[in-house]
Amino acid sequence: MITALLVLIIVLSNAAGDVLITRGMKQIGEVASISPRELLSVAGRVFTNLSFLSGVASLAVSFFAFLAVLSWADLSFVVPATSLVYVVTIIGARFVLKEEVNGLRWAGTLLVCMGVALVCVP
Amino acid sequence: MKTAVVLTIAVFAQAIGNACLSKGMKGIALDQFDGSFSAMLLLDAMREPMIWLGTLLLILFLVMFSATLTWADLSLVLPATAFGYILNVFFGYHFLNETVSNARWAGTVLIFVGVVLVAGSGRKSKRRLDGDA
Repeated sequence: MITALLVLIIVLSNAAGDVLITRGMKQIGEVASISPRELLSVAGRVFTNLSFLSGVASLAVSFFAFLAVLSWADLSFVVPATSLVYVVTIIGARFVLKEEVNGLRWAGTLLVCMGVALVCVP
Repeated sequence: MKTAVVLTIAVFAQAIGNACLSKGMKGIALDQFDGSFSAMLLLDAMREPMIWLGTLLLILFLVMFSATLTWADLSLVLPATAFGYILNVFFGYHFLNETVSNARWAGTVLIFVGVVLVAGSGRKSKRRLDGDA
Protein backbone atom coordinates (compact mmCIF):
# COMPACT_ATOMS: atom_id res chain seq x y z
CA MET A 1 0.00 0.00 0.00
CA ILE A 2 1.02 3.57 -0.60
CA THR A 3 1.69 4.36 3.09
CA ALA A 4 4.24 1.55 3.31
CA LEU A 5 5.83 2.65 0.03
CA LEU A 6 6.17 6.25 1.24
CA VAL A 7 7.64 5.15 4.59
CA LEU A 8 10.17 3.08 2.62
CA ILE A 9 11.04 6.12 0.50
CA ILE A 10 11.42 8.28 3.62
CA VAL A 11 13.76 5.75 5.22
CA LEU A 12 15.87 4.92 2.15
CA SER A 13 16.32 8.49 0.93
CA ASN A 14 17.15 9.65 4.47
CA ALA A 15 19.82 6.96 4.83
CA ALA A 16 21.15 7.65 1.32
CA GLY A 17 21.22 11.37 2.06
CA ASP A 18 23.21 10.86 5.26
CA VAL A 19 25.72 8.60 3.52
CA LEU A 20 26.15 10.96 0.56
CA ILE A 21 26.58 14.03 2.75
CA THR A 22 29.11 12.19 4.92
CA ARG A 23 31.03 11.09 1.84
CA GLY A 24 30.97 14.62 0.44
CA MET A 25 32.19 16.17 3.68
CA LYS A 26 34.97 13.58 3.98
CA GLN A 27 36.08 14.40 0.43
CA ILE A 28 36.29 18.05 1.38
CA GLY A 29 38.44 17.17 4.35
CA GLU A 30 38.90 18.54 7.82
CA VAL A 31 38.09 22.18 8.44
CA ALA A 32 41.47 23.42 9.69
CA SER A 33 40.51 26.81 11.05
CA ILE A 34 37.46 29.01 11.37
CA SER A 35 38.93 32.10 9.74
CA PRO A 36 36.49 33.80 7.34
CA ARG A 37 38.72 33.02 4.38
CA GLU A 38 38.91 29.33 5.29
CA LEU A 39 35.16 29.11 5.92
CA LEU A 40 34.39 30.77 2.60
CA SER A 41 36.72 28.35 0.86
CA VAL A 42 35.09 25.37 2.58
CA ALA A 43 31.62 26.66 1.72
CA GLY A 44 32.65 26.93 -1.92
CA ARG A 45 33.90 23.34 -1.92
CA VAL A 46 30.81 22.10 -0.07
CA PHE A 47 28.27 23.65 -2.43
CA THR A 48 30.05 22.34 -5.51
CA ASN A 49 30.59 18.82 -4.17
CA LEU A 50 28.43 16.35 -6.08
CA SER A 51 28.06 13.88 -3.19
CA PHE A 52 27.00 16.65 -0.83
CA LEU A 53 24.48 18.10 -3.30
CA SER A 54 23.01 14.67 -4.08
CA GLY A 55 22.80 14.04 -0.35
CA VAL A 56 20.86 17.24 0.21
CA ALA A 57 18.54 16.38 -2.70
CA SER A 58 17.99 12.94 -1.20
CA LEU A 59 17.14 14.44 2.19
CA ALA A 60 14.71 16.81 0.46
CA VAL A 61 12.95 13.81 -1.13
CA SER A 62 12.74 12.21 2.31
CA PHE A 63 11.24 15.35 3.83
CA PHE A 64 8.60 15.80 1.11
CA ALA A 65 7.62 12.14 1.33
CA PHE A 66 7.30 12.67 5.10
CA LEU A 67 5.02 15.68 4.57
CA ALA A 68 2.92 13.77 2.06
CA VAL A 69 2.31 10.77 4.29
CA LEU A 70 1.53 13.04 7.27
CA SER A 71 -1.45 14.39 5.31
CA TRP A 72 -3.33 11.14 6.03
CA ALA A 73 -1.37 8.97 8.46
CA ASP A 74 -1.01 9.35 12.23
CA LEU A 75 2.15 11.04 13.51
CA SER A 76 2.29 8.32 16.17
CA PHE A 77 2.60 5.76 13.37
CA VAL A 78 4.87 7.54 10.89
CA VAL A 79 7.62 8.66 13.27
CA PRO A 80 8.20 5.22 14.88
CA ALA A 81 7.96 3.57 11.45
CA THR A 82 10.79 5.76 10.16
CA SER A 83 13.06 4.47 12.94
CA LEU A 84 13.79 1.74 10.37
CA VAL A 85 16.52 4.13 9.25
CA TYR A 86 18.64 2.66 12.06
CA VAL A 87 18.25 -0.78 10.51
CA VAL A 88 19.14 0.44 7.01
CA THR A 89 22.17 2.30 8.38
CA ILE A 90 23.51 -0.73 10.18
CA ILE A 91 23.04 -2.98 7.13
CA GLY A 92 24.79 -0.36 5.00
CA ALA A 93 27.61 -0.09 7.54
CA ARG A 94 28.11 -3.86 7.62
CA PHE A 95 27.77 -4.77 3.96
CA VAL A 96 28.73 -1.62 2.09
CA LEU A 97 31.30 0.00 4.37
CA LYS A 98 32.46 -3.39 5.74
CA GLU A 99 32.35 -2.13 9.32
CA GLU A 100 32.50 -4.54 12.24
CA VAL A 101 29.13 -4.70 13.96
CA ASN A 102 29.11 -6.07 17.51
CA GLY A 103 26.43 -8.20 19.18
CA LEU A 104 25.01 -5.32 21.18
CA ARG A 105 24.35 -3.32 18.03
CA TRP A 106 22.64 -6.28 16.33
CA ALA A 107 20.51 -6.76 19.46
CA GLY A 108 19.52 -3.10 19.43
CA THR A 109 18.66 -3.30 15.74
CA LEU A 110 16.53 -6.36 16.36
CA LEU A 111 14.64 -4.53 19.09
CA VAL A 112 14.01 -1.62 16.72
CA CYS A 113 12.59 -4.05 14.13
CA MET A 114 10.33 -5.67 16.71
CA GLY A 115 9.24 -2.25 17.87
CA VAL A 116 8.36 -1.15 14.34
CA ALA A 117 6.43 -4.39 13.78
CA LEU A 118 4.36 -3.68 16.90
CA VAL A 119 3.77 -0.08 15.81
CA CYS A 120 2.38 -1.38 12.50
CA VAL A 121 -0.20 -3.62 14.19
CA PRO A 122 -3.60 -2.13 13.34
CA MET B 1 24.18 20.08 32.57
CA LYS B 2 24.49 22.21 29.45
CA THR B 3 24.15 19.05 27.37
CA ALA B 4 20.97 18.00 29.16
CA VAL B 5 19.33 21.40 28.74
CA VAL B 6 20.22 21.76 25.06
CA LEU B 7 19.14 18.21 24.20
CA THR B 8 15.86 18.56 26.08
CA ILE B 9 15.02 21.72 24.15
CA ALA B 10 16.14 20.03 20.92
CA VAL B 11 13.98 16.95 21.42
CA PHE B 12 10.92 19.00 22.35
CA ALA B 13 11.49 21.25 19.33
CA GLN B 14 11.57 18.19 17.09
CA ALA B 15 8.40 16.69 18.52
CA ILE B 16 6.49 19.99 18.44
CA GLY B 17 7.79 20.62 14.92
CA ASN B 18 6.55 17.24 13.70
CA ALA B 19 3.18 17.81 15.36
CA CYS B 20 2.90 21.17 13.54
CA LEU B 21 3.76 19.51 10.22
CA SER B 22 1.18 16.81 10.81
CA LYS B 23 -1.52 19.28 11.79
CA GLY B 24 -0.68 21.51 8.83
CA MET B 25 -0.68 18.72 6.26
CA LYS B 26 -3.94 17.23 7.53
CA GLY B 27 -5.53 20.68 7.50
CA ILE B 28 -4.60 21.22 3.86
CA ALA B 29 -5.76 17.73 2.89
CA LEU B 30 -9.15 18.28 4.50
CA ASP B 31 -9.68 21.89 3.40
CA GLN B 32 -8.49 21.72 -0.16
CA PHE B 33 -8.63 18.12 -1.19
CA ASP B 34 -11.46 16.68 0.83
CA GLY B 35 -9.13 14.23 2.52
CA SER B 36 -7.79 12.64 -0.66
CA PHE B 37 -4.18 12.78 -1.76
CA SER B 38 -2.74 14.92 -4.51
CA ALA B 39 0.74 16.14 -5.36
CA MET B 40 -0.73 19.67 -5.30
CA LEU B 41 -0.84 19.18 -1.53
CA LEU B 42 2.91 19.67 -1.36
CA LEU B 43 2.72 22.93 -3.29
CA ASP B 44 0.01 24.24 -0.97
CA ALA B 45 2.13 23.17 1.98
CA MET B 46 4.74 25.73 0.98
CA ARG B 47 2.28 28.50 1.80
CA GLU B 48 0.92 27.05 5.03
CA PRO B 49 2.15 28.79 8.23
CA MET B 50 2.02 25.56 10.27
CA ILE B 51 4.41 23.95 7.80
CA TRP B 52 6.81 26.87 8.08
CA LEU B 53 6.65 26.75 11.88
CA GLY B 54 7.18 23.00 11.91
CA THR B 55 10.10 23.25 9.49
CA LEU B 56 11.74 26.02 11.54
CA LEU B 57 11.43 23.92 14.71
CA LEU B 58 13.01 20.96 12.93
CA ILE B 59 15.86 23.19 11.78
CA LEU B 60 16.24 24.35 15.40
CA PHE B 61 16.46 20.70 16.46
CA LEU B 62 19.10 20.03 13.80
CA VAL B 63 21.19 23.03 14.84
CA MET B 64 21.08 22.09 18.54
CA PHE B 65 21.77 18.43 17.76
CA SER B 66 24.79 19.32 15.60
CA ALA B 67 26.06 21.87 18.12
CA THR B 68 25.89 19.31 20.95
CA LEU B 69 27.97 16.92 18.86
CA THR B 70 30.84 19.41 18.87
CA TRP B 71 31.38 18.71 22.57
CA ALA B 72 29.54 15.48 23.38
CA ASP B 73 29.87 11.91 22.10
CA LEU B 74 27.32 10.66 19.60
CA SER B 75 26.85 7.68 21.91
CA LEU B 76 25.45 10.11 24.48
CA VAL B 77 23.47 12.36 22.14
CA LEU B 78 21.76 9.60 20.15
CA PRO B 79 19.95 7.93 23.08
CA ALA B 80 18.75 11.34 24.19
CA THR B 81 17.22 11.98 20.81
CA ALA B 82 15.83 8.43 20.82
CA PHE B 83 13.56 9.60 23.62
CA GLY B 84 12.07 11.81 20.92
CA TYR B 85 10.26 8.75 19.55
CA ILE B 86 8.27 8.44 22.74
CA LEU B 87 7.67 12.19 22.82
CA ASN B 88 6.42 12.23 19.21
CA VAL B 89 3.93 9.44 19.90
CA PHE B 90 2.77 11.18 23.07
CA PHE B 91 2.26 14.47 21.21
CA GLY B 92 0.28 12.63 18.55
CA TYR B 93 -1.88 11.10 21.25
CA HIS B 94 -2.32 14.21 23.39
CA PHE B 95 -2.38 17.13 20.95
CA LEU B 96 -3.50 15.53 17.71
CA ASN B 97 -6.06 13.18 19.32
CA GLU B 98 -4.64 10.13 17.61
CA THR B 99 -5.60 6.68 18.80
CA VAL B 100 -2.52 4.93 20.09
CA SER B 101 -2.96 1.23 20.79
CA ASN B 102 -1.06 -0.60 23.54
CA ALA B 103 0.88 -2.38 20.80
CA ARG B 104 1.98 0.95 19.39
CA TRP B 105 3.09 2.24 22.81
CA ALA B 106 4.97 -1.00 23.45
CA GLY B 107 6.57 -0.84 20.01
CA THR B 108 7.71 2.74 20.58
CA VAL B 109 9.33 1.82 23.90
CA LEU B 110 11.09 -1.13 22.22
CA ILE B 111 12.41 1.22 19.54
CA PHE B 112 13.71 3.57 22.22
CA VAL B 113 15.51 0.72 24.04
CA GLY B 114 16.84 -0.58 20.72
CA VAL B 115 18.28 2.79 19.75
CA VAL B 116 19.88 3.16 23.21
CA LEU B 117 21.56 -0.23 22.69
CA VAL B 118 22.72 0.71 19.20
CA ALA B 119 24.16 3.96 20.49
CA GLY B 120 25.75 2.26 23.50
CA SER B 121 27.48 -0.26 21.28
CA GLY B 122 29.45 2.40 19.47
CA ARG B 123 33.16 2.77 20.12
CA LYS B 124 33.90 5.90 22.12
CA SER B 125 36.31 7.89 20.02
CA LYS B 126 37.49 10.18 22.78
CA ARG B 127 37.58 10.21 26.54
CA ARG B 128 34.53 11.65 28.27
CA LEU B 129 35.44 15.01 29.76
CA ASP B 130 35.15 15.26 33.52
CA GLY B 131 32.08 17.07 34.75
CA ASP B 132 30.11 16.52 31.56
CA ALA B 133 26.48 15.97 32.55
